[in-house]
Amino acid sequence: MDAGFLDWLQSTGLAVAISEEWFPFVESLHVITMAIVAGTIFVVDTRLIGLTSTRLPFSYVAERMLPWTWGAFVCSAVTGTLLFIANATGYFDNTPFRMKMLLLVLAGLNMLYFQRVTFRTVSAWDAGRPPVTARLAGTISLILWCGVIAFARWIGFTATG
Amino acid sequence: MSIVAFGNWLTSTALSQLIQRTHGAIADIQVVHILCLATLFALALNLSLRIAGRGLAAEPLASLAGRFVPAMWICLGLLFVTGALLIIAEPHRTVGNPIFYVKMILLLVAIALTLWLASVARSEPEKRAALHVAAAWLYMLVWTGVIVAGRYIAYR
Repeated sequence: MDAGFLDWLQSTGLAVAISEEWFPFVESLHVITMAIVAGTIFVVDTRLIGLTSTRLPFSYVAERMLPWTWGAFVCSAVTGTLLFIANATGYFDNTPFRMKMLLLVLAGLNMLYFQRVTFRTVSAWDAGRPPVTARLAGTISLILWCGVIAFARWIGFTATG
Repeated sequence: MSIVAFGNWLTSTALSQLIQRTHGAIADIQVVHILCLATLFALALNLSLRIAGRGLAAEPLASLAGRFVPAMWICLGLLFVTGALLIIAEPHRTVGNPIFYVKMILLLVAIALTLWLASVARSEPEKRAALHVAAAWLYMLVWTGVIVAGRYIAYR
């Protein structure tokens, strides 16, 4: 990405205000919304793996949890963007930040594949034990989201600027 | 012993020195701390939603609380262990910080509410009283406060 654009981004009035005054507040909102995203995904994934909520159909657990997940994800993306612009050059070159973004993309692709392929047969396993492909998708999702949180925390220890 | 002297003593202990000298140890302990907090927060959210008659409403409240509350205690146990390690590693960041005590007070309120809401779920599982619903939302507000105070510790 153009370094001039990143410099411009972090010199905007909004970025300066966040950097100098609002960073802890925006970061707190980011942590809360990320906690809801990851926590509700853990509830869905552990049902998909067949470890928890086994008396409830998978589609019911997903239907009840995912609106919270998506709502929190949108808030998390907004707060994450605000945090990013406060130190765009520092974060863009930061390896844990790049790893976090990569894992987010992989988590999205895993969810997309699951929705398009595995979920099509949900009526056959909705109330019972999900098939291997579904359990694998749940396990991969759990690992990826733990990775997202781990790299997110590492950003604070390694980012410059 | 003053708080400063206590902090100095903690910093000099072998465990504190070990954590401080091990590359990435503090960050990794914080990762486990945050993962436990995220899980606990989502479980608390589900308990609160269920008390309010929402969320996983197809499952009886007593059954849901019977599954989620023990998992919340496990998360809390891990939060205590990782939190204690972080205090031992960097005592001056916490024991001399007023925000840390705000977090601890909110944590005590959250624990008291967990005990009370769990007992409500056991004794009056399907009675949705306005007091219980209000307490459930207060419960989420208190956990939110715990997270916010936890983040603000780093900035004071």
